[in-house]
Amino acid sequence: MASSDPVILLENVYTAYEGADRPTLTDISLSVGKGEFVIIGGPNGAGKTTLLETINGMLPLTHGKAVVCGHDVRGNGVGVRRRVGYLLQNFAFDPLTPFTVEEVVLMGRFGTIGLFRKPGKEDHEAAKRALQLLGIEDLASRPIGQLSGGQQQKVLLAQSLARDPDVLLLDEPFSNLDMFAREAINCLLSRLVASGIAVIIVSHAFDDLPDCRVRVVVMHDGRISLDRECLPADVGLLIRNAGSASLNA
Amino acid sequence: MLEFIIQNNIVCHAVEAMLFASIACAVLGVIITQVQISSIGFTMAHAAFAGAAVGMFLSLNVTICAIVAGVCVAFLIGPLSDKARVSPDTALGLLFGISMAVAIFFIAYMQTIGQGFSAMGLLFGDVISLYREEIYLLAIICVVSVVFVVVLYKEITGIIFNKRIAESVGIQVKPVYYALLFVIALTVALCLPIIGGLLIYVWLVTPAAIALQFCYRLSAMFVVAPIVAAAISVSGALAGLEYSLPVAPLTAVLFSIVFIAAVFLSPKRRVTFRKS
Repeated sequence: MASSDPVILLENVYTAYEGADRPTLTDISLSVGKGEFVIIGGPNGAGKTTLLETINGMLPLTHGKAVVCGHDVRGNGVGVRRRVGYLLQNFAFDPLTPFTVEEVVLMGRFGTIGLFRKPGKEDHEAAKRALQLLGIEDLASRPIGQLSGGQQQKVLLAQSLARDPDVLLLDEPFSNLDMFAREAINCLLSRLVASGIAVIIVSHAFDDLPDCRVRVVVMHDGRISLDRECLPADVGLLIRNAGSASLNA
Repeated sequence: MLEFIIQNNIVCHAVEAMLFASIACAVLGVIITQVQISSIGFTMAHAAFAGAAVGMFLSLNVTICAIVAGVCVAFLIGPLSDKARVSPDTALGLLFGISMAVAIFFIAYMQTIGQGFSAMGLLFGDVISLYREEIYLLAIICVVSVVFVVVLYKEITGIIFNKRIAESVGIQVKPVYYALLFVIALTVALCLPIIGGLLIYVWLVTPAAIALQFCYRLSAMFVVAPIVAAAISVSGALAGLEYSLPVAPLTAVLFSIVFIAAVFLSPKRRVTFRKS
């Protein structure tokens, strides 16, 4: 599917890990526009996280072209990451980690501030806004290591939002979250999409998706096997069917 | 620099040297322990030790040889683990083994040819026979370490929190990380003659470990660790010189005692909740 005025444009992208004898992503072409909500599904090892890290410029392209937020990923990965919020999957912090929630969220601004400069009033305000968006401003002065897994997940999501991103990449954002937190996050994602932010999530939880048009991308063995729009209620069935078809092919 | 407080020149030099070395090591030690690269610091300390031993044997400048060896090892760890397809941990083990072997070989050989006394200084440190220029160098590296942390504080905190997350928020992790390794190598090499190759690790790790028992914020650790290190090191130097005891080993023992006390006194292991 092609989007007009895309914020993410991948053309025939291949990505391989160092030392691997075959690419992890094969011939990926994907175009995502402003305010699109994309859910990436597929079995374990299909290349979903690799796709997010390729978009984010954290993994090098071996072939193809990738332009994100107007920056060529190949030459300006740091520039891309300053415009993209990325929530990594499966993080748990040691109870002795010497960082408060406020400090962790402010860190989300560090890339945009630039080398040798200190966070200013604007950065602190952005961090405060992100905490309020997630409803965790009361945790601001708590050490992150002393929070529950779900609370830590919210803090990292607030960190991704603190830099006012144009694109939000979320890897398993609903893991560790209870049903109330899921609902709150979905409500927030709907608002972000409505405000024009492109949201791409990798998830295995399809129950309470945001109430908006959803684009489903199914991956299998490093390739995109399905890319189409659907209603939130149909996502689970679509991904399951596409997964079965790929396995039978 | 401290002659107006301590009149005896030898004691004054020893106190100054321990003060500057302890502050530099403690500030960098906070980063080393929190990024969990203690084994890199350990290997670099022993590489600098090996470099100094070779320099002493060849009658070259010991400090420069130690710096070169420390920096070389710091920059070999990554490529060695990549090219030899071994984990960074194994690469560090290899480099540590080679460094120790080189250092012990040259120290043992110098003992057989009658240069054993000067070589012992490299093992356990020597605060008595320091030149004024060496104190100035230590003062400079102390300032460099503090300025490095102040100027790159934002990037350093990101890397300490998590390198992957730091990279994902747009921090230029690699250049800052390599600059950090370079400053560690420089500090270790300059502190080696006064603390000794076998003990410098105590100065790098223990002050940060003590600070961690009491601090919930990284910024507090960067203040507490050097203050604790300076207080213990100066006390160790004064006590050692007063009672004619080896200064560096005595101070290392003091560090360990304070660390054990800190573990017992740490509020982080105490349940403070009381039902009213």
